[in-house]
Amino acid sequence: MTENLLPTTTVGSFGKPDYLTKARGQAARGKLGATELEELERKATAEWIRRQEDIGLDVLVDGEMYRGDMVAYFAERLDGFKIGGLVRSYGNRYYHKPVIAGKVSRPKPMTVDWYQYAQSLTSKPVKGMLTGPYTLLDWSYNEAYPTRRDAVLALAEIVRDEARDLERAGAKYIQIDEPAIHARPEEIEVAIEAMGIVTAGLTAKTISHICYGDFAAIYPQVLDLPVDQLDLAMANYGYRWLDLFDRDPYTKELAIGIVDVHAHQTESVAEAAEGIRKGLRYVSADKLWPHPDCGLKTRTVEESVEKCVAVVEATKVVRKELAKVPA
Amino acid sequence: MRTAVIGAYPKIGDGLEAQELRRALHRRDRGEIGDAELDTVYDEVTRAAIGEIEAAGIETTNDCQIRWDDLLGPFARAWSGVERGPLERFYDNNTYFRQPVITGPIATDGRTLVRDYTFASGVAKAKLKAAVCGPLTFATLTSRDDHYRSIEDRTLAAADAIAREIAGLAEAGARMIDIEDPAVVAAPQHIELAREAYARLAGAGHALALVTYFFPPDAVLESLASFPVGVVGIDVRSRDTTAFDRLDAFRTQYVLLGVVDARNTRLETAEEVARYAERALKLLPQERLILAPTTSLEYLPRDIARAKLAALVEGARLVSGEKVPA
Repeated sequence: MTENLLPTTTVGSFGKPDYLTKARGQAARGKLGATELEELERKATAEWIRRQEDIGLDVLVDGEMYRGDMVAYFAERLDGFKIGGLVRSYGNRYYHKPVIAGKVSRPKPMTVDWYQYAQSLTSKPVKGMLTGPYTLLDWSYNEAYPTRRDAVLALAEIVRDEARDLERAGAKYIQIDEPAIHARPEEIEVAIEAMGIVTAGLTAKTISHICYGDFAAIYPQVLDLPVDQLDLAMANYGYRWLDLFDRDPYTKELAIGIVDVHAHQTESVAEAAEGIRKGLRYVSADKLWPHPDCGLKTRTVEESVEKCVAVVEATKVVRKELAKVPA
Repeated sequence: MRTAVIGAYPKIGDGLEAQELRRALHRRDRGEIGDAELDTVYDEVTRAAIGEIEAAGIETTNDCQIRWDDLLGPFARAWSGVERGPLERFYDNNTYFRQPVITGPIATDGRTLVRDYTFASGVAKAKLKAAVCGPLTFATLTSRDDHYRSIEDRTLAAADAIAREIAGLAEAGARMIDIEDPAVVAAPQHIELAREAYARLAGAGHALALVTYFFPPDAVLESLASFPVGVVGIDVRSRDTTAFDRLDAFRTQYVLLGVVDARNTRLETAEEVARYAERALKLLPQERLILAPTTSLEYLPRDIARAKLAALVEGARLVSGEKVPA
């Protein structure tokens, strides 16, 4: 049954429709109320659930229509944070970098309602989507905790509580993203310790997305990150991280990025399929998950769809090849 | 007590009126304005940024690198034999850059930054310095090299191109030029290669500063003291460092000391800045110490960057025994 092989998914975010981008701008200027904005966010979420089903993705996401940024969204909902001014991330892209100004705590769940809403729209599984404690710290200014480790461990308890709430709400897949995990390779043990706090006792499949950094600097130590699946940007790097697996065998499930999300142009199905074949040299087809390199929020809706279609079509090609290979 | 900035200044502020460049770039991408209009915006933002640095009382400014996407971008765009490649994190920052891809012999006419420097020199009332990327940083952050056979060859080729840029800037009137080269402290195993590269940069008539940041200079501090540069920049805030106890290694060079943390919003007090300076002054004469932010202020929101500069200047005045305005 090749349908169970190479399950397809995405990293989390999609391009927002124009009406939502405009509405978010209006809301930021106080010209649109929170209720009206949320209605549009729910509409856009429903559209993305339908698109993902139409494209044929296997494990869905809510698309993060209600988030601007993967750290600021949580910082805005946690006590102890304040939202800082605009800082450039690259090119002409800016984000409000949060400030940890006091002891952090979680007044109430932050993502559960959105997970439940998205899951109510589809019979396919929807992933619960969280940002990991190390990245929450690394992408914020720390004015409050004496050390980075102190801040990371405090944030780990918050992310743990949110993950448990998602699991109680029915999430079978919980993704705890750590794109900053290789920012300071000397701190990999702190990130691993923190993730241990987050995932302890969870029965859901746990996933961590890592992208845009020196993965080689934390490999193979990152295999100790207590999650079931690592979710890696590969296409952007010409799949060079796979070479690391020759020296130290890879031991987890692998979500493999097969289309670059920071290019307007989408790879051909043949190119994307070749990416899957490269991954299959190291990870068996039941443990290899094709997907785009990263979240698609920097792309338009149309570009996001194109890239997801390439992932699904490439997967079909390789599944057919696998079906022809005698067991 | 001397003060200077390093690297890029925030290109936009938080108020809508301070986001003209962001809007202009979006409009250019949509084809609503052309390059000439965008250039006007770049120039105006440069003028405003230099003005903010001068208003804070900083002695030496730069052109604020308003046109730079990242430290390598201007060179990767302008040099033949180089293309801009994959997106990558810039060291331990949540800031990203396009890694260079080398497709052939690196060559430049040496005029990559001349236009920007000339504009800034017409605007700045403070002392003005230019800046280029360092050869080791360029070479070590390259994603793919289809031409040079080794990191040594690539670093020295980058050094030759940077030497041409330095000569071009010097011809345009630059007398002080920062060479921003964090790889010298991030990859200390290449220190002798870096020294060989810097031997190709030295020239008469202008002062070169080897500016490092993000990582402590501990592994290479004494080596840096023998580089053919007039100024060495070191970051004493990003990580623990033994540098304060070893500054006497710099027997003739100026030290550009990064004492205000340009990567955290927590504001230093003037007294705190002064304490860092006084620690340095135990082993370094005041005439060879320059206080600075640790790195580019672009890692901060613009209002915080301004406040950091104010703290830097007030701290410097405290050291000098000047009265700090209330």
